Amino acid sequence: MSAPVMEVILSTDCSSPLVNCSVLDLLSGASLLSYRGGSTSSRGLTLLDQRHLLGAQLGRNFINVWDVQRKDQMQQKILCPGVVTCLASSPNGLYLAAGIAESLYLWEVSTGCLLAVLSRHYQDISCVQFTDDSSHFITGAKDNLALVWRLASVIQLDQGPSPDPLHVLSRHSLPITDLHCGLMGPQARVASASLDQTVKLWEVCSGELLLSILFDVGIMSVTLDPCEYFLFCGGSDGNIFQVSLCSQSLNRDQTFQSDSDGNQVFKGHRNLVSCLSVSMDGTLLLSGSHDETLRLWDIQSKQSIRCFTQKGHVTNCAIMVAPANMLAPLGSAAAAAPLPRFQRHLASSQHAEGQDSGEVCLRLGLYTQEEETTYLQKTEKLFSLMTSVTDKTVSGGGEEMRVAELEDEVRTLKKINKDLYHFSSHLLTKP
Amino acid sequence: MKSKRKKRQDDFQKVKLKVGKKKPRADNATNTTFRSKGINLSEQLKRESGPTTHRQLGINDLVSQLHHYNGNVKQSALNGLRELLVKNPTLLEQHLSRLVSEVAAVFTDKDANVRMAATRLLRFLAQCVPAERAAPFFPLLSAHLSCAMTHIETGIQEDALKVLDVMLEHYPALLASRPSVLLTNFLELISHRRSSSTGGSKKPLDTKERSWALSVNPNKAVTGQQWRLTVLFRLGRFLQAVVEERPTEDRDMCVPSEGVFGSDKEGGMTPLDLNWEELTYSRTEVKVYENSGARPTPHSTFKLRPDVEPGAAVGEGLGSAEAVQNFAATLVPLLLEVWVEASATDSTWNSSEGANLIHPDAMSIMFQVLSILQQLRKLAPHRDQQDILDAWFRSEYLDNFKQHFMKNFPYGALDAPKQKKKPDLKRMKQVPAVTGPTVEPLGLNITLCQVMVALSQRQDAGPDKDVEWLLPLRTFVRDTLANGMKLSYKQLHMLLDAVWKLALKERSRAVTEDLLAAVYIHYQQRNLTLQTRSLLLSFFSKIYQQEPGHTHIARSKVLGRWLAALPVQLCQLGHRNPALSARLILSIQAAASRGNKDLLSSLQSNACRLYDPQEGAAVLLPAQSQQRMIQLLYFLPHLPHTLLVSLSRCCTAGRISAGLAASLIRIVHLRSSLSGWSMGSQGAALQDVDYVSFLFSTLTGFSSEDLAALQDAPDDSTIPPSLLSPLSLYPTLLEQFTHHWDVVEEVCHCLETLGSQSQCFDILQNAICKYLCKLAVVPDSLAAGLLRAVSRLLELSVPPSEAVLRFLAQCCLSLLALLVTLQQEAPSETTHKREAIWSACVSALCSVPRLLRTVLQSLRVGDLCEEELPQLGQMLVLILQHSPLRSHLLVNTALLQHVIQDLTRYSHGETREQWLTDLLYCYSVTMAHASTTHRGNLGLRDMY
Repeated sequence: MSAPVMEVILSTDCSSPLVNCSVLDLLSGASLLSYRGGSTSSRGLTLLDQRHLLGAQLGRNFINVWDVQRKDQMQQKILCPGVVTCLASSPNGLYLAAGIAESLYLWEVSTGCLLAVLSRHYQDISCVQFTDDSSHFITGAKDNLALVWRLASVIQLDQGPSPDPLHVLSRHSLPITDLHCGLMGPQARVASASLDQTVKLWEVCSGELLLSILFDVGIMSVTLDPCEYFLFCGGSDGNIFQVSLCSQSLNRDQTFQSDSDGNQVFKGHRNLVSCLSVSMDGTLLLSGSHDETLRLWDIQSKQSIRCFTQKGHVTNCAIMVAPANMLAPLGSAAAAAPLPRFQRHLASSQHAEGQDSGEVCLRLGLYTQEEETTYLQKTEKLFSLMTSVTDKTVSGGGEEMRVAELEDEVRTLKKINKDLYHFSSHLLTKP
Repeated sequence: MKSKRKKRQDDFQKVKLKVGKKKPRADNATNTTFRSKGINLSEQLKRESGPTTHRQLGINDLVSQLHHYNGNVKQSALNGLRELLVKNPTLLEQHLSRLVSEVAAVFTDKDANVRMAATRLLRFLAQCVPAERAAPFFPLLSAHLSCAMTHIETGIQEDALKVLDVMLEHYPALLASRPSVLLTNFLELISHRRSSSTGGSKKPLDTKERSWALSVNPNKAVTGQQWRLTVLFRLGRFLQAVVEERPTEDRDMCVPSEGVFGSDKEGGMTPLDLNWEELTYSRTEVKVYENSGARPTPHSTFKLRPDVEPGAAVGEGLGSAEAVQNFAATLVPLLLEVWVEASATDSTWNSSEGANLIHPDAMSIMFQVLSILQQLRKLAPHRDQQDILDAWFRSEYLDNFKQHFMKNFPYGALDAPKQKKKPDLKRMKQVPAVTGPTVEPLGLNITLCQVMVALSQRQDAGPDKDVEWLLPLRTFVRDTLANGMKLSYKQLHMLLDAVWKLALKERSRAVTEDLLAAVYIHYQQRNLTLQTRSLLLSFFSKIYQQEPGHTHIARSKVLGRWLAALPVQLCQLGHRNPALSARLILSIQAAASRGNKDLLSSLQSNACRLYDPQEGAAVLLPAQSQQRMIQLLYFLPHLPHTLLVSLSRCCTAGRISAGLAASLIRIVHLRSSLSGWSMGSQGAALQDVDYVSFLFSTLTGFSSEDLAALQDAPDDSTIPPSLLSPLSLYPTLLEQFTHHWDVVEEVCHCLETLGSQSQCFDILQNAICKYLCKLAVVPDSLAAGLLRAVSRLLELSVPPSEAVLRFLAQCCLSLLALLVTLQQEAPSETTHKREAIWSACVSALCSVPRLLRTVLQSLRVGDLCEEELPQLGQMLVLILQHSPLRSHLLVNTALLQHVIQDLTRYSHGETREQWLTDLLYCYSVTMAHASTTHRGNLGLRDMY
């Protein structure tokens, strides 16, 4: 059986007494189910491998874990070394990243092994995002920096004390409040929002700044629609700004002006917009705000379609495809296995780990990756191949080819003869 | 025989002269009696091809004279050409190709004067013709140049260098694009290729057989050393041109290069705006990304038109690291040999006690040798290859360098024997004119430092055997910086480069501290130029940014001291030098965002001065710096009460724009605990009480002193109170009014998001009651802003108190009266102000319960004088015409009726005036309209 593909809204607020995370139907707005216990901090909700729902507890040093299909009770708590300020899991479900104060902790989900503690930020990390192919991740912090990390280089076994980030995006002048990473793996673009009233669009692979848009207010949240036609920025005054990315101007630094082509303002919230999300088809925009409401907007007409009142500041909201077993439980057989105990400290030495019930550590060694051939090399190869064929026909090589062809033909004919002989001899000797 | 004799007699017949006879007329006598006249064929004599020299020679004649066998003719032709071209620049465009080819051909002329004239003409041509127009002829020129450089006659070789000078001066790019041939020529000028058969290597030390050896030509006019010096000087300049013409890659800022400290570019490439026409000819390159763009491939710089012709061998140039390495392998031994010879000749007449003192000649040779070495290092096409090249230099030549250069390291000029360590700048000895620039020992030592430091190894990479030879270098750098002697910008740049490399490569903390302290001493000097100062500043900020990964830099005390001094400097600088201030602010911001404790505590203690509303840096600097200053506020650990007072005054005083004031308020809002933005470990910076009072005083827009002063202000500056406007309004300038209005909007927004609205309104009400109700003179912007704030923040559950209501009603009435007068005076200029006042009044009247009633109650028509009646009438018309107010008016029908009746009664003019007619009409319309919708609005009555 397969559950119908259905998009749902996941949302958390900071002070609801009973419900931690509520799941709503995107189209009807009906409340589908809710996960209980605790409350989740901002940017602290993530769905791990379609099986577990993880939420960082507000103001405490643990992460709540639910089995997606057992909403009524919490499965376990993961104790962390400090208060978790942001949480993300890689889309392939293998890694979990949590920002704790100035450091980013990266765990391997299957073993609970703490792979790396990255402390390149100088102040609290405010957000972390993986690219959709889990190859890179980006962290944004209150020290105005955003860092792009390559996952493979971070988790390499035999590297020095602290791996270096791939790029340092250092053009913001006040803390970064939100990041959004587009699709297309390492070729994605990432948008960063900051209190310095700008949103900047970067290229992940090169670390280049593509666009910087200046607003009148500090921007607290940002998202892109799946096609990356529009950029949505939630301001600290409750307005949501839609920026068209298709405009023709080549200006790198722009000032936001509404009602110029495609740039619009969604007005409705009365307090800062803490989170934004766009539906899969790019028609609906979900926004959560500190005025304790969630609003669903029709992007085309810029109207608020629906407004859900919450109990407190909305800390997380997201539109996502419902995991198959979220709405139609598959029974206890399919229950997600509990997560292993997550390490709180880096394994100090290798041999100590080795004694531990013969675990095998699987990680990439440094420089074991084979160099990929570049496009230029490929074209050169192709070119040489092409020219070699023509060269051959032009020079005396044609004859050799012809000889080879003839020899092939002789070989096949011989084979046919042989077959014929066998067949006939078989026929003759049979009776 | 006989006939012969006879003939002879005929020839020598004796002339008989007799007295009295006339001399017979000679047979061959010419008759000179005729007279001649000239025939002028003037139209045939006229020249067809335009301008000529003073010798009446046209360009064709002159060019053809260049092929003359006589040197003087050629020389005069060249001079004539120059004269002609100076007079007629247009000729140049027509005949450029011919001129260039002909002039280039005489580079190799045997006559020195001709060559000199040719060089002069070439210089003139180069001045007139820009590089892009000379480009098509350049292969020809350079071919002739190499021909001259390799000529067998030494005179021609020498003059070829002058030609090269001209080209280096005017066409460095063109020259640098084809380095392969020229480099070989240079080598041949000072050395000769040793044929491999005869090359029994004299020095067994050399592992590979060297194919070049220094040559000595005894026939030369100058000594071998001087000749070498001139050649090396040109070679250095040429290599420099090659390096400079390299496409720069400034992107990776962490790698030190020459431009790092000086340039304040913030990385990043220009947007890719491709224009094929431009691309075809320009030198811009398109970076092509591969492998999903994960890293730029080294050889992917795409150019539509390659620089080299297909014929030229690319590999022989300096395009790849290997090529550079090969070239260096040839050149460096030669250079060493040159220096050894120079120093050897020097030491023959030099006593042993002053081994570090060298003759100026030798010094300038060494300087050239070193600067060529320096350029060689930079020749590597890419940054990553530069490291490889450095390592190669180290492995190949470190021992040689140590032996030859480092033995007597801090060199001094010979004629200053008393000061061995400190080279004296003033007493420089004259160096021969051929060497070009004079070389001073300081410059020499600095260059040597830079060359040698580049060879040093990372300390953690291997055993530290470098210490021994790095020590004198370090001492020299430290002493030079710390002694506070005058350094030129370039020297300082080189020194800082050396410090940078020493600090990054030697990972010992003490050494780094030592060097940085020396730089800091230099930095603290008073009379530095702006350029130098900003160079030092950017050096420090760059080295501060190197902190991650370099723990020995991270905890540096010198850096801490430097950071802590920054806010003080910013204070002291004031508005005198905005550019330097901007740099300071950038550095402060970088450190503040990293939470550097030294800086933050210093910033905290200087905050009140920096944000002083009168002479703080935050209000004096240009807008861009102001914005950064305001952003800095976010990082302050505490916002004490006094600072908030200054900030509030900054917001309201109008020295910073309304937008910046709004962002200032927003930042303060973010740092308060009421904002809801997660503070994390940082914690709230200010107390809630302080925050609310900050908001209220910003809302007021005037300090209490200002308001108190206003109360006693002379009457002519304010609008005096009357019965219609019970408050005396102080008219603010339009600019100030709009500024205040914008600030009020932002404050209202902050107050709205404060949390419980009823409590918030309660606080506001109390504040108004306490501070404002007793005022008699109120600025109009304050009155309007107050009405706006009250109507926005009103909470129905908390009814406004009586006193506040009365004050608001007074404000409202006064503003309406002002509105009516403004409408009469200047309708166009004050549109914005009127709209703002009107919207404030209306929204207040609509939303605040019982305000309208209080307003109507306070109208005592009976006491008004005759002139005020029409004014009141107009006010009422305005109110009546506003449809959202109708339902409210309806509730107060009785009061309104009373007022209208009074009005009609008191305006007992003989004719009914226009305003009264209007008023009665509006009134009737409103009432009629209201009665139809009356039933729907019954609920409103309950509100009152």
